[in-house]
Amino acid sequence: MTSTLANRIADEYARVAQALPESVVSAARREHAIKVLLAEGLPIARDENWRYANLRALERVQFAPSEGAGELVSAAALPAPIAGYIRHTYVDGVFAPALSGTRPAPAPLATVARAPRSDERFALLNDAFASDVAAIRVALGEAHNGNVEVLFIASAAGTRAASYPRLEVSVGAGARLNLIERHLSVGCDASFVNSAVLIELARGASLTHFRVQQLAARATWIDTLDATVDADGSYQQHLVQLGALAARSTYRVRLAGARAAVRLHALASADQHQTQDAYALTEHAAPHTVSEQLFRGIAAGRARVAYNGAVSVCPGAAGTDSRQSLRGLLAGPDAEIDVRPQLQINTDDVRCAHGATAGKLDDAMLFYLLSRGIDPDIAQQLLKWAFLADVAAKIDVPELRKSIERALAGRLDVAADLQELL
Amino acid sequence: MSALLKIDNLEVAVGATPVLNGITLSANRGEVHAIMGPNGSGKSTLAHVLAGRPGYTVSAGTVTYEGRDLLALSAEERAREGVFLGFQYPVEIPGVNNVYLLKAAYNAQRRHRGLPEVDAFEFLGLVREKMKFMRMDESFLGRAVNEGFSGGEKKRNEILQMLILEPTLAILDETDSGLDIDALKVVAHGVNSLRSPQRATLLVTHYQRMLEYIVPDFVHVLVNGRIVKSGDRSLALELERRGYGWVTEEAA
Repeated sequence: MTSTLANRIADEYARVAQALPESVVSAARREHAIKVLLAEGLPIARDENWRYANLRALERVQFAPSEGAGELVSAAALPAPIAGYIRHTYVDGVFAPALSGTRPAPAPLATVARAPRSDERFALLNDAFASDVAAIRVALGEAHNGNVEVLFIASAAGTRAASYPRLEVSVGAGARLNLIERHLSVGCDASFVNSAVLIELARGASLTHFRVQQLAARATWIDTLDATVDADGSYQQHLVQLGALAARSTYRVRLAGARAAVRLHALASADQHQTQDAYALTEHAAPHTVSEQLFRGIAAGRARVAYNGAVSVCPGAAGTDSRQSLRGLLAGPDAEIDVRPQLQINTDDVRCAHGATAGKLDDAMLFYLLSRGIDPDIAQQLLKWAFLADVAAKIDVPELRKSIERALAGRLDVAADLQELL
Repeated sequence: MSALLKIDNLEVAVGATPVLNGITLSANRGEVHAIMGPNGSGKSTLAHVLAGRPGYTVSAGTVTYEGRDLLALSAEERAREGVFLGFQYPVEIPGVNNVYLLKAAYNAQRRHRGLPEVDAFEFLGLVREKMKFMRMDESFLGRAVNEGFSGGEKKRNEILQMLILEPTLAILDETDSGLDIDALKVVAHGVNSLRSPQRATLLVTHYQRMLEYIVPDFVHVLVNGRIVKSGDRSLALELERRGYGWVTEEAA
């Protein structure tokens, strides 16, 4: 089956290869990606780290990217701008000038020719078909580049519904960047979005990265992120997964220099038949590196929420400090939660604090609220809300946080008198 | 005059294990009753059963509150009817703001009594006044329920909630445990400020210490799920002097 799929991908690639821009990904690199896919195939549900992903859309999707329909999306359909942030909008993976501030120079990173590991093969699909790239480079002293919002809008549906958002971020030595990345649907329901994000933080660089996925109810989102953090660099990420029928994020963050730090805060809320799956691998490859993974997910209806938090500590990474708190909440008898810590530690000198739980609402909390006269329905909503809001509260861009809190409140059916909490 | 709370031959089990083996106790409005006893005697179970915590099986007996069957009411109905449980271990609820919980509780009670709800501004004024009384820091307003509070702060927070909700029947479960002497005085001051001919208080405690500051009208000693001795304040002092051994033996 896999080889059939890879063959189909190769055929589709051959048909559209001529039209794919060399400036985004070179033809040589695209062809290499196809070659690797033909040899190794894409991940399937039997693969260890893909057990919970919903990859069914692959069987019917047409992989050739949809033709940009940027002119059909109006600014009114986009979320309100965020004060102090320059916005760049990509519709179906292609830059939309009418919906954007000044475009950054589309210069791909020079060092991208890394061989993806087995779990990152969906990035090859993006290599092969990417129609455009959002390239953001920040060097020290370029304060005006410090706040950027990238909107990836899926607008195409039907037979040509695939798009390949591609984001490359480089933060130079000592520089800092606040980056908002949002994946949204406008005027379509079932689309196939395959995103690839590449991040390089130089010495002492700092990136705060807000990632929000709110695609439409029948969309599929398959996402691969690869980040490298050099010495004294700091990468803080907030991931919010709310949309799509099937969403999967694959992360690999390498702490490549001494004292590099990464904090991954993720929250997911799924209901009906949604699947939201994430696999996040942190590699401690240098001494005194710091990592934190915080995950809170709620599954209601027949939904499945999975988070696989992997931490690998290499032999030379003495003084590693790694913390992980993964918690899932079941909000219905037919829902499913899978949270899994995976630790691989190859040095003695580490501090690790890890916890993973999946369960129902805490009875002690519930009784405490009831004992104060709170209605049971309200108490349940309040606790579900609190479970996620605790992580959402860490998003320190007020407009963004409020919009996420509103979306969560709507999702959890939070009663009007709870909304004053927002 | 009929009692505010009348517990008659109450038997309670957790799973198959009997914990309360026939408690009989009456409390009138205006009275403070101390319920003392060694660890495992059933004191906390009694407090939780009265507040409506799930997980207990009442196998015999009745509890009447304001002339009604208390056990027939849900936990939230009991709260709205004026029953308040001060927890031995107040629960931390990250993500739920303290003031929000207080206001929701306050308004739930007012709705239940057919009174208009208060708005945020008015309510904040009330909370500030009571916080001052409990010598609580202003920063408390922005914090999540009990999250990261010290043991003393949690207990003060319980009493703050009580002062705002003004219960008819306050049940305080080991409110003195884990308090230093200054905090104990503040907490006792809070409890005493609510003493009135309209209300009754059940103080569940292991030690006599708190009773120096909140002087009870009656003291009951619970052993193996039964009240084995009742008396006035001097009984608590005697327990302090002689320990629980002698009442346990007398009861045997």
